[in-house]
Amino acid sequence: MTFDWGIIWHYRAALADGVAMTVLLAVATMLIAIPGGIVLALMRLSPLRPVSAASACFVEFFRNIPLILLVYWAYYVMPVAIGIEFSAFTTGLAALSLNVSAYNAETFRAGIVSIRRGQGEAALALGMSQWQVMRQVVLPQAVRRVLPVLASTWVSLFKDTSLVSVIGVSELAYVSLQIRSQTFRILEMLTAMAAIYWLLGYPQAKLVDWIHRRYGVSE
Amino acid sequence: MLGDLDFSPLLESWRYLAAGLGVTLALSALTVVSSLLLGSAIGFARVYGPVWISRILTFYIDSMRAIPVLVVLVWMYFAFPLVAGISLPPFWAAWAALTMHVAAYVAEILRAGINSIRPGQTRAAQALGMSGAQVVSKVVFPQAVIRMLPALGSIVSVTIKDTAIAATIAVPEYMERSQTLAGQSFRPVEVFTTAMIVYFIILFPATRAVDMLYRRVAHLGRS
Amino acid sequence: MNATVVLDYRDVRKNFGSFVALDGVSTRVHKGEVVCLIGPSGSGKSTLLRCTNGLEKLDGGTISLDGIALPDNETGMRDVRRRMGMVFQSFELFPHRTVIANVMMGPITVLRLSRHDARQRAEALLEKVGLSEKAESHPASLSGGQQQRVAIARALAMQPEVMLFDEPTSALDPETVGEVLNVMKRLADEGMTMVVVTHEMSFARRVANRVVVFERGAIVEEGPPSQIFDAPTVARTRDFLGHLGWHG
Repeated sequence: MTFDWGIIWHYRAALADGVAMTVLLAVATMLIAIPGGIVLALMRLSPLRPVSAASACFVEFFRNIPLILLVYWAYYVMPVAIGIEFSAFTTGLAALSLNVSAYNAETFRAGIVSIRRGQGEAALALGMSQWQVMRQVVLPQAVRRVLPVLASTWVSLFKDTSLVSVIGVSELAYVSLQIRSQTFRILEMLTAMAAIYWLLGYPQAKLVDWIHRRYGVSE
Repeated sequence: MLGDLDFSPLLESWRYLAAGLGVTLALSALTVVSSLLLGSAIGFARVYGPVWISRILTFYIDSMRAIPVLVVLVWMYFAFPLVAGISLPPFWAAWAALTMHVAAYVAEILRAGINSIRPGQTRAAQALGMSGAQVVSKVVFPQAVIRMLPALGSIVSVTIKDTAIAATIAVPEYMERSQTLAGQSFRPVEVFTTAMIVYFIILFPATRAVDMLYRRVAHLGRS
Repeated sequence: MNATVVLDYRDVRKNFGSFVALDGVSTRVHKGEVVCLIGPSGSGKSTLLRCTNGLEKLDGGTISLDGIALPDNETGMRDVRRRMGMVFQSFELFPHRTVIANVMMGPITVLRLSRHDARQRAEALLEKVGLSEKAESHPASLSGGQQQRVAIARALAMQPEVMLFDEPTSALDPETVGEVLNVMKRLADEGMTMVVVTHEMSFARRVANRVVVFERGAIVEEGPPSQIFDAPTVARTRDFLGHLGWHG
């Protein structure tokens, strides 16, 4: 059997587009899921039972189903439920955002809860309002604890974008698999796909380790 | 729109789906066991092995953190046979790929657990005259395991979720059977919504059990 | 005192990178003697103790136990460690085991005692440090002073020839310091050979046979407590003790 590795170079433009789409998906998802996670975390900590219960249900549900199923579900059920046809990109983005928001909510909640009660009380004693305490005392401290976990979530998200290939979002995995089936250069294209993900993901994993060492709180 | 739901295809095909669920659980169980074994071996060799072994294993673990499961699965099923000359049935290709992936996480958890034990504990054990193996097996590892339990427990739910990706290489597990049924019955809303509930019912207690187990043993890990 | 020499330090040197932790230390510890090592933080006294137990490797000189130099391989060092008990500033009890299991661990895993014999030995030692009723507790539920007394019992369970104490009361609340020092005092009265790194000057004065003053990795002065505390011959000793608020 002969292999034709030149095929990868031949399709470099398409692969580059796939990479761009992967990065775009990951960035867009995080941009939605960070505010989403903060809102869910604050809801979860609300003294109003229905609000905190709603947040808990949302978070637990989306953390406890496979992402690939969520992608299919968004693809088939969202248009029927809402009555609007979305593009594959929007559908994939929605599924990823629901999933990552749920994880981020837990991250932010743990970050906020980890700040000692005494810190909040000390700030209240200075005459700050609840909101000022949250914004000026609790959140800045929580960020240090949250950042390393967010970085890990980012690396997972970057890989998870590959799952929206199943509904035809033309990110790296989809593009590679398409070229594979058009050219029958199976080994070459699948290896190229793995190698490109590796090239992109490996430095990220190392960066995450660095962030954990730099900011990680050891107790 | 959502008014005329029809769940009868699901009821008619429940055996077909139940068999798929069986495959999901079997694949998950096998993967968890093999990943714990392989991951522990990798983790221990990385922490206590010679430097060159440790470097190679670190490279392997970080690579697995960088490459999506889907990519490993697809490569193992479609590309591996072209290199090795033997093709694996979908189930075993999925098992191998998932194990490669999850074992890397287990190894990483093990390392973090071992490193979380204060060096003073090792010194105190050495001061009693314990050998290196005794220090690890009697003092470091028992404490590390307790700290690792929540993370190791989460491996179970991670694995169950990852087996759903094996649908892409046609392993006849629950996700794949749901796709097939959705296509045949033209009832994707009902089929996929049911699938969500089924997965949730399996995964939620697993997550909860880990939390409870953790709270029970947490005090033993304090030092 | 012309008893047998237990520990013999000859020109001991230890560097951490460019930092000289021990700069040629020579002294002897005799059988039944209680030697207190005092001096400012970072003066090398704890490092000497850790070198004694082979937890740090020497960069020069020798340390001998009963006339035989410490081996520089790990396996040989293990045999030597059995003969020395070590108590750490941070206790380092094993949190996953009960109090009595902590004390039994060395005899069972290292000395290969039967569980029965190890338990008898451990019970006697817990009695000795006054913690029999805590035998089945986990370390986390004990006060610092109690944990340190268990750590002493754990070290004694190996029936060591010499006990090494590395600032055993520095991590304790003031109210529990006394109970640990009392246990140590009783041990000294029984004739145990002890090397104690400490900041407790009154303990050193009351219990030590000899006090060794360290500064910058070297011995400034050594002698009986009466000399060190009442009539130090070296100005640096006076400065150090004066700094601590010790005025004779």
